[in-house]
Amino acid sequence: MNKKSAHLHVNNLTCKRGAQILFSDLSFELKDSEMLLIEGANGSGKSSLLRLLTGLASACAGVIKWQGREIQMIRDEYTSALHYLGHTNGMRSGLTIEENLQLSSHLSLSASIVINDTLKSLQLDQHKNTYIKHLSAGQKRRAALAKIFLLPKKIWILDEPLTALDASAQTFFLAALEQHLQNGGMAIISSHHPLTFQHAAIKHLRLASC
Amino acid sequence: MLNAAKFIFQTEIVLLWRRSQEWLYPLAFFCIIICLFPLAFTPDPAFLQKYMPGCIWIAALLASLLAIENIFFTEWEEGYLEQLLLSQIPLSLLMFIKLSAQWIVTQLPLIMLTPLLGFLFHLPLSATLALCASLLLGTPILTLTGSLCAALTLGLRQQGVLLGLLVFPLITPVLIFGVSIVQQSQAGLSIGGPLAFLSGLMILAMMLLPWTIAAMLRAAIDE
Repeated sequence: MNKKSAHLHVNNLTCKRGAQILFSDLSFELKDSEMLLIEGANGSGKSSLLRLLTGLASACAGVIKWQGREIQMIRDEYTSALHYLGHTNGMRSGLTIEENLQLSSHLSLSASIVINDTLKSLQLDQHKNTYIKHLSAGQKRRAALAKIFLLPKKIWILDEPLTALDASAQTFFLAALEQHLQNGGMAIISSHHPLTFQHAAIKHLRLASC
Repeated sequence: MLNAAKFIFQTEIVLLWRRSQEWLYPLAFFCIIICLFPLAFTPDPAFLQKYMPGCIWIAALLASLLAIENIFFTEWEEGYLEQLLLSQIPLSLLMFIKLSAQWIVTQLPLIMLTPLLGFLFHLPLSATLALCASLLLGTPILTLTGSLCAALTLGLRQQGVLLGLLVFPLITPVLIFGVSIVQQSQAGLSIGGPLAFLSGLMILAMMLLPWTIAAMLRAAIDE
């Protein structure tokens, strides 16, 4: 992971869906070891905001800066520093968990990864060679999280990561998230669950429902 | 990068092979359409020799459209397309890899079947070879143009119909030159001209379309 201090700056962001304004003039900053928790009712624009922050979608107005430069200008550098997990898990249903994880590591041009320990701690080691389409919703979510744990990156942008996870997987995820923050990582997470950490600060952002 | 590209190519081939409907349906569709032509017109060998190459081309066109229809849809639904956009490998290279795998699995079997069809419909060997060569050069253009239109129409309802309306006008030059290769060979003329033109079109498509498709997909995801 990059040891240099990192900085994400969002200024006057506005997002529309159709003619409706989801949010406007949104500004915040995020530094090392900080986490932003995005809260809000259904349809208040949480997922849209996360997609804007990944650079997959472009905003109506406003700028997002990474290390002082606009993310659209430094797309490769920015995407190499971030993990994005949307509502869909981004795993290919026709491949096994192991094949999916190998594919992800090749897509991020990482060195070969050792997946067994992480799968064991997510209770997926039995299913290493199971096709994603044969897994339950919670298992799919865990497999997607395994990818995030295996490939270290600076920013985690996760859309409702706790959905479909059971209690033990939630605890494991939160511990991993806290560890990530303590190691100087950043996280931007939307969640309906209240999160508290002992050793890491959480910033809150509440989107008004419209 | 090369290592990763190789792995991704293998994965694409494995996936297509596992989803056997991806290559089996277009292949079966191709055969059935071709068998309908002699029934609709006449099984007279002189007629078949003259018109079958065109019919085979039309069937290849329809089959390629069938194969391309859902090329990005599953990945889009799975959220994998977003992961591709965020990956460290250029999207145009990823598209080139994906489409090469797609062509090998869905189009190459059609071309390998063509000599058998030529034999069935009394085509002389030279005409069959010319037909295979024209398909070999033409089908990559069909795959590339088809996926460009599939990227354009991603997420729309009734995508298949619209895809046909978009693709067919665009690939008329391919059809014209593809068929004229066979006709010239049957007339005993040199096939160099149309063959060179079709090769040129194929290379142009291979150079330009992966970039265009990548840009279209970025635009389709950004909405």
